[in-house]
Amino acid sequence: MFKLKVSDAKLLRDMTTAISILVDEATFKIDPHSIKLRAMDPSRVAMVDFEWSKTVFEEYICTESTKMCINISELLKLLKRAGKDEVVELSLDEKTGRLQVKITGKYTRNFTMPTLEASEEEVPTPKLTFNVRAKATTGGLSQAIEDAQLVSDHVRIEADAEKIVFNATGDLMGATISLQKGSDTLLDLEAKESSKATFSLSYLSEIIKAAAATSDIATIEFSTDMPIKLDFQQAKEGKLMFYLAPRIETE
Amino acid sequence: MKYSLIADAYEKIEATTKRLEMTDLLVDILKKTPKDIIDKVAYLTQGRIYPEFVALEIGVAEKLAVKALARASGKRESEIEEDLKTIGDLGETVQKFMAKKGQVTFFQQPLTVQRVYEILDKMAKTSGSGAVDLKMALLAGLLADATPKEAKYIVRSVTGNLRLGIADMTVLDALAIAYGGGKETREHIERAYNISSDLGRVAKTVAEKGLEGIKKFEVSIDEPIRPMLAERLSSPEEILEKLGGKCMAEYKYDGERIQAHKKGSGVVLFSRRLENISSQYPDAVELVKEYVKAETAILEAECVAIDSDTGEMRPFQELMHRRRKYGIREAMEEYPVSLYIFDALYVDGKDLTLKTYPIRRRALETTVKESNSVKVAKHIIADNVEELEKFFLEAIGEGCEGLVCKSIAKDSIYQAGARGWLWIKYKRDYKSEMTDTVDLVVVGAFHGRGKRAGTYGALLLAAYNPENDTFETVTKCGTGFTDEDLSRLPKMMHKHIITRKHPRINSTIEADVWFEPAAVIEILGAEITLSPIHTCAIDSIRKGSGLAIRFPRFTGNYRLDKAAEDATTASEIVEIYQKQLKKISEN
Repeated sequence: MFKLKVSDAKLLRDMTTAISILVDEATFKIDPHSIKLRAMDPSRVAMVDFEWSKTVFEEYICTESTKMCINISELLKLLKRAGKDEVVELSLDEKTGRLQVKITGKYTRNFTMPTLEASEEEVPTPKLTFNVRAKATTGGLSQAIEDAQLVSDHVRIEADAEKIVFNATGDLMGATISLQKGSDTLLDLEAKESSKATFSLSYLSEIIKAAAATSDIATIEFSTDMPIKLDFQQAKEGKLMFYLAPRIETE
Repeated sequence: MKYSLIADAYEKIEATTKRLEMTDLLVDILKKTPKDIIDKVAYLTQGRIYPEFVALEIGVAEKLAVKALARASGKRESEIEEDLKTIGDLGETVQKFMAKKGQVTFFQQPLTVQRVYEILDKMAKTSGSGAVDLKMALLAGLLADATPKEAKYIVRSVTGNLRLGIADMTVLDALAIAYGGGKETREHIERAYNISSDLGRVAKTVAEKGLEGIKKFEVSIDEPIRPMLAERLSSPEEILEKLGGKCMAEYKYDGERIQAHKKGSGVVLFSRRLENISSQYPDAVELVKEYVKAETAILEAECVAIDSDTGEMRPFQELMHRRRKYGIREAMEEYPVSLYIFDALYVDGKDLTLKTYPIRRRALETTVKESNSVKVAKHIIADNVEELEKFFLEAIGEGCEGLVCKSIAKDSIYQAGARGWLWIKYKRDYKSEMTDTVDLVVVGAFHGRGKRAGTYGALLLAAYNPENDTFETVTKCGTGFTDEDLSRLPKMMHKHIITRKHPRINSTIEADVWFEPAAVIEILGAEITLSPIHTCAIDSIRKGSGLAIRFPRFTGNYRLDKAAEDATTASEIVEIYQKQLKKISEN
């Protein structure tokens, strides 16, 4: 059987929102120790890697490992009905294959939703080596991305030992946003060599905006013309990471 | 199976204009296809993913395809739109941009036919909020893994622009060669296709079970049978000669031809072009449910618009009001329909398509319970020209297009998907449209029913013939009267009522109420036709025929200023008829 209980509905809702940025039908792997999800968006441009240990939950019961596929946006609709300090319980009815969502606060609500056929696809972790590693506040990153979005739909991220620069060039306008090492935004920076890579701003902004609700600090890693990894530090024992493939300038 | 094989075949097929070469290319690709996905490949060659009669479409507009291309290639939408404007071919633009794509994806892998089909299927089935975004993301995902050439054909497929020009018949030829054992086996494969309209199921059957399997192919409820079509002749002599001196002549109703599939309480209606039109005709669906006794059946019928006030047939054009997605209920009330059933192709588990027409007709008559709104098509067995001609004029007089004369010989099977000489249309060559109003004398009336109980349902109208000083009937009119008119009419006409037909009235029709010729009203009709019933100008155009006004409508004008003798004369009607007579172009 599988059952979990979260005493703060907001925590679960924010995490679900972050996952929903990329995934519509999500296949979770559930075992006695944790719940995991690794999936790509349908365009295969971005990937999410999520895990919550059983210690995150008020109550976590899983007697045997299983997979559960659900429609994330449908689940999100239900979770949006829960207030901040309300308790959410999810339990899988193995007979009917339906997921029960129980929200308890001022009163009790019991929803059920169907589970879907679990995806067979195993998404491997990308094997990557990174030359740049930086630690930044998620608030600061959000701001930088918003600035860049004013002028273009993609951004070139450049880093050396001292700073990270976001360079956006649109049809008419341009923007350069610099974050200095040791500033309030850029807490730490290591660069084995100067690197630069270009990414889609629509992906970056959606990912960072949603993940910022779950995390204050992110570690970003990248190399020239390679995917970027964004690791959003979690308060409790869990992880939320995103990978985003770069654009290559061909002209 | 790699999708690149399909894309390569598309490219070669596109480059050839010769049918034989096209067939060879198809044979080649069909042979390379694993049998379990040959149905999918068959659909894909037609630029679709399901048989034609399945209404699901992938439904990607050019704008959405551009967005997906922008995401997959990492180029700006504006840049793509610009290029599209100069090239004017989305497929070419896609190929060009994918060749210089900038967006990298994770774990790129060669596309398989299975994956392409699966994603297209998912796109077609997506609906509701967020459907557009999901479709875009799915398409972008396919494009991300596609070679530029593959991307071109994928985009053409999803936007409904794959125009390779491969006719279904060419695919059948190719299937015969690849799996049937040779081109001469095509007739069996073609028959399977004609009774199922499902190229995929046919392909899979012949690939997996060979010629023997295809010979056992059966009609299946919910798969439309491709309709049998009629040839056309314009003289009853020729028709009788072609049909061996004797035939079953049926009214050719001026409606929409439908094929009704009934399975228990489930009924699906297909149009002549195999579209599912059940949602347009919920009333017809109910009629089939209620008045077809068989548990399972495939029947063919004409669905005809009916004037709800008079119960008379309305012209085909009025059915156009039923071609809509919204407001069906309102349209149903305003434009009700009747069904005239004319063929039974499948009844209670028995395929009748290879039975003779008289046998099918009998099956039809036993399974259909006739009512006001459901009738078996009116017919006679005719073996001489006069009979046929008279029946023809009756049909025209009742608002039909003419007759369909059908063979009743031993070989009179249902030739699915074929136009042949077993059925012959006898339609009018000429028609005379009316543009001006006429003033006619009210000589009789018919009691109203339903909403019109207590007043008149229709009036019998006549033109004046000054030579004999008689009034000759020319039409029956129940349309155009307001509720006020209807309540006034009996009072207005009361003083003119006589107990039997006035000697000056020349009529073969028996009215419920007769009037002395006095009241004159203004009428606008759709056209003037020859009629075996009405007496107006009888014998002047054709021996034994008078003239009738079709689809008459009261304009609202009571010609109180006119005496009966001032009404439009029979010779004026003849003049209008001759002046407006035009050849009907065949459609």
